[in-house]
Amino acid sequence: MKSYSITRRLIATVLLIELISALCVTSLALVYERHVHFRAFDVLLRGRADSMLGAVQDAEDASDNVMLDGTETTVPPDDIYQVTDASGRLLGRSPNWAGNSVPGQNEQMRVESHEDGQEAFYQTTIHGKTYRVIRMQGLRIVDPGDKGGGIRRYVTVYYGSSMKRVWGAILRTVSFYAISSLLVLACTGILMSWLMNLGLGPLRELATAASKVSVSSWTFLPPEKAKITKELAPLVSALEVLLHSLQRSFEQQRRFVGDAAHELKTGVAVVKSSLQLLSMKERTPLEYQAGLERCLADCGRMEGIVAQMLTLARVEESDAVNPASLQTDVVQCMREVVLEFDTMTQLGQIPILIQGNASLTANVEAEQFKLLCSNLLLNALQHAPPNSAINVEIEQEDSQARIKIRDQGEGIPAESLPHIFERFSRAEPSRSRKTGGTGLGLAICKAVVDKCGGSIEIQSKVARGTTVVVRLPLAHTASYPSMIAQ
Amino acid sequence: MRVLLIEDEVRLAENVASALREGPGFAVDCAEDGVTGASLAENRCYDLIILDLMLPKLDGISVLKRLRTGKDETPVLILTAVGEVTSTISLLNAGADDYLSKPFDLGELLARAKALIRRGKGVAHPTLSAGDLVVSTLEQTVHRAGEAITLSPMEYRILEYLMHRPRVIISKRELLEHLYDYNWEHHSNVIEVHVSNLRKKLGGNEQQSSIETLRGRGYRLLVTRANEE
Repeated sequence: MKSYSITRRLIATVLLIELISALCVTSLALVYERHVHFRAFDVLLRGRADSMLGAVQDAEDASDNVMLDGTETTVPPDDIYQVTDASGRLLGRSPNWAGNSVPGQNEQMRVESHEDGQEAFYQTTIHGKTYRVIRMQGLRIVDPGDKGGGIRRYVTVYYGSSMKRVWGAILRTVSFYAISSLLVLACTGILMSWLMNLGLGPLRELATAASKVSVSSWTFLPPEKAKITKELAPLVSALEVLLHSLQRSFEQQRRFVGDAAHELKTGVAVVKSSLQLLSMKERTPLEYQAGLERCLADCGRMEGIVAQMLTLARVEESDAVNPASLQTDVVQCMREVVLEFDTMTQLGQIPILIQGNASLTANVEAEQFKLLCSNLLLNALQHAPPNSAINVEIEQEDSQARIKIRDQGEGIPAESLPHIFERFSRAEPSRSRKTGGTGLGLAICKAVVDKCGGSIEIQSKVARGTTVVVRLPLAHTASYPSMIAQ
Repeated sequence: MRVLLIEDEVRLAENVASALREGPGFAVDCAEDGVTGASLAENRCYDLIILDLMLPKLDGISVLKRLRTGKDETPVLILTAVGEVTSTISLLNAGADDYLSKPFDLGELLARAKALIRRGKGVAHPTLSAGDLVVSTLEQTVHRAGEAITLSPMEYRILEYLMHRPRVIISKRELLEHLYDYNWEHHSNVIEVHVSNLRKKLGGNEQQSSIETLRGRGYRLLVTRANEE
């Protein structure tokens, strides 16, 4: 993906809009200036034509003709003019008037729209130059002092002037507008990039602060400016929350890895030291045999730890199940687990008594639920005194299945209770070690319960016994039969 | 020599204790948690404390700090598993004398334990000599003027203890405290019998090194002046 900069994009957008408006202003100016200048030009032409009319003199001949006295008029040298009388006789023309044609009959001539009886404007090209020509009907009275008011002579004056100058003036004005617009555009561009730079400061500071966060240093100090920036505040808080939870989970993982390493290394140390102890000196075959058996038992314990760790990892990593898709018969599963403990319960004379609602189905994977039950029951069995009983109660509580497992064991000291679900919980290591515990059983239970959205709590009184209460969400479909029944 | 082993992993503690008893013949007391360990250490009867870091109730580093603030100068060997939070630097700074990371070699543990005990008593070499008496702590043999003397394990341990501190009066009580662990009944006449046997086996005349009994005060290893000069 091509990278792009918000700053550059914003500046480009603004400049583009400015450019478009500058173009609009310039073209409007062009239209307006053209209109104004041409009107002024027309007035000028009319004036010149009038003065040309004034130059028409009595020819002092018999037929009282008129003639154009070119000497009396002062016209710009590059202007063109021609005066004809009513019969079309040429009275006079400027020296640079090309050809002999009369304007108006010229092919190159274009009549403009606003023609009226008295005057008309044309445009014609002579010698490659474009001229605007006025045709004016004029009345010249020869001998106005004579009786009868003199002789009226109608003349037609054509007067043209080059349009180059007008266009020059128009273009000068328009280009002034265009250049000033471009200048403003350039200034805006520079100003914008500076202001944007300034305005994006908090974002840059935030990026710097965020880039300092790494796996080894989790401290994220969002700059004050970013915090009070309305647009950045949500990002800052999102980052803070994210980093906080990430850090917690990282620390949890790190602690777990540390604990696991400790457990495994200790396990290896036990096996290694057992073997080395055995080989320290010559021993009798019986001693060797006993030593090897101890080594085997040590290996077995390590195997147990590894298996439990893998179980925990499996439970935690199993994909989030489709909610309400699982229907595990709580009582049925519990009975199956209890059957597995048959020999143990008979050996220790500790019966497991189940009582409860037989039609509860919980939204939990059957395998994991069995794992949960067997872990809890094993704990209870290991701590229950001989000739006592373990009570399992299963009942519905709101939309949850409540499973209560109660033993009459020695209990758990109050100070250990808060840490009981921690991995490798070392509250009572000597006891758990002797009974073959790894400190992971309850952590696995917690993982199972968390996975399906339930809860687990332990109440315990020393010398009185321990009660574990597990709450699991009921499978949704389970409620239909009861609703129909109602 | 008497060693206090503070380790919560029962099987490991068993193995280390057996090795210390079978190898150098130390008396070993075991504690399974930090609190028990710290209170046992307060008896000040140990020549070495082997301390695990991860302990229930009171962790290893706290035990160590408690020992050192109580002006207990007993050498401490720390057992760690790499990956624990506490670095070796901070361990040594807290007053540990040495450390071993798990899983360790039992032979190395024994060698380090012996070296620490030796150093704790101001001796550098594993072979101790006083006058013409030479004790090799590695081979656990005793020679007088080149001649080997066979001793029972207990006699050897008494001699070794005395050899570490020649010319110093050592009470019977101290010998009892440092040579027997809690599993033994403490009878001072047991020591008397062993010392008397030891003295007989060592033999020697007036000019040679021997064990002197100071009534009511204890024992002293005499080193002959002639040989010293």
